Amino acid sequence: MIITGIGAAIGALVRYNLTAFIKGKLGTNFPIATLIINLTGAFLLGIVKDTEVALLVGTGILGGYTTFSTYNVELLTLIRNKAWSKACSYFVLSGIFGPVAAFIGWYLAGLC
Amino acid sequence: MKLAENISVACFAFFGGAMRYVLSQDFCAAGTLIANLCGCFLLSFITFFVIKRAKWPSWLTTGLGTGMIGALTTFSTFSFETVAFLQQGAVLIGVTYWLVNLCGGLLFAALGCALGGKL
Repeated sequence: MIITGIGAAIGALVRYNLTAFIKGKLGTNFPIATLIINLTGAFLLGIVKDTEVALLVGTGILGGYTTFSTYNVELLTLIRNKAWSKACSYFVLSGIFGPVAAFIGWYLAGLC
Repeated sequence: MKLAENISVACFAFFGGAMRYVLSQDFCAAGTLIANLCGCFLLSFITFFVIKRAKWPSWLTTGLGTGMIGALTTFSTFSFETVAFLQQGAVLIGVTYWLVNLCGGLLFAALGCALGGKL
């Protein structure tokens, strides 16, 4: 529990600063920052899931790094603003490619 | 780089992550689902009520929202658990888990927003 908490603190710090950095570079038109964070996090979790660092890096750091709540609030905001094509793209890119990224990471780790 | 916000995010995220760990220990994949759905409701409420109308200080709302709720919910474990169910051949459970997370998350976010707008 302590290990997961410490990992989550590190992961959330990276997410907070990376989100601010990406939004500063690419603007806030589309929630690209959260999308990049979630997909890379899902991919990396696939890689570390079956290793001995799964608790600290997987459940802790990557669990704190990725976020499901921000994704849904951003999706809701796009829907409320009637930005339908952006909402659909965001839903498909996150919902489909998240599990796909996790699978690719897990598959690649299994090859090594 | 804002120092107060960073310290707040780290401290609150510790508790969010620890809470998610306890939930996932007690309820496995259902624990992640519970954490995700509660988190969607709470973050939406914070976003549409506390930040927009109650105007709490920025370090506190960033710590609670980005830190605690952000670390309580997880996209990576949701993605991996979906794949793990499918990989084990539990296709029906996997698809249900995937759908309930995605549709439920949006529904709970909408509820948080609706409640936030009413207060």
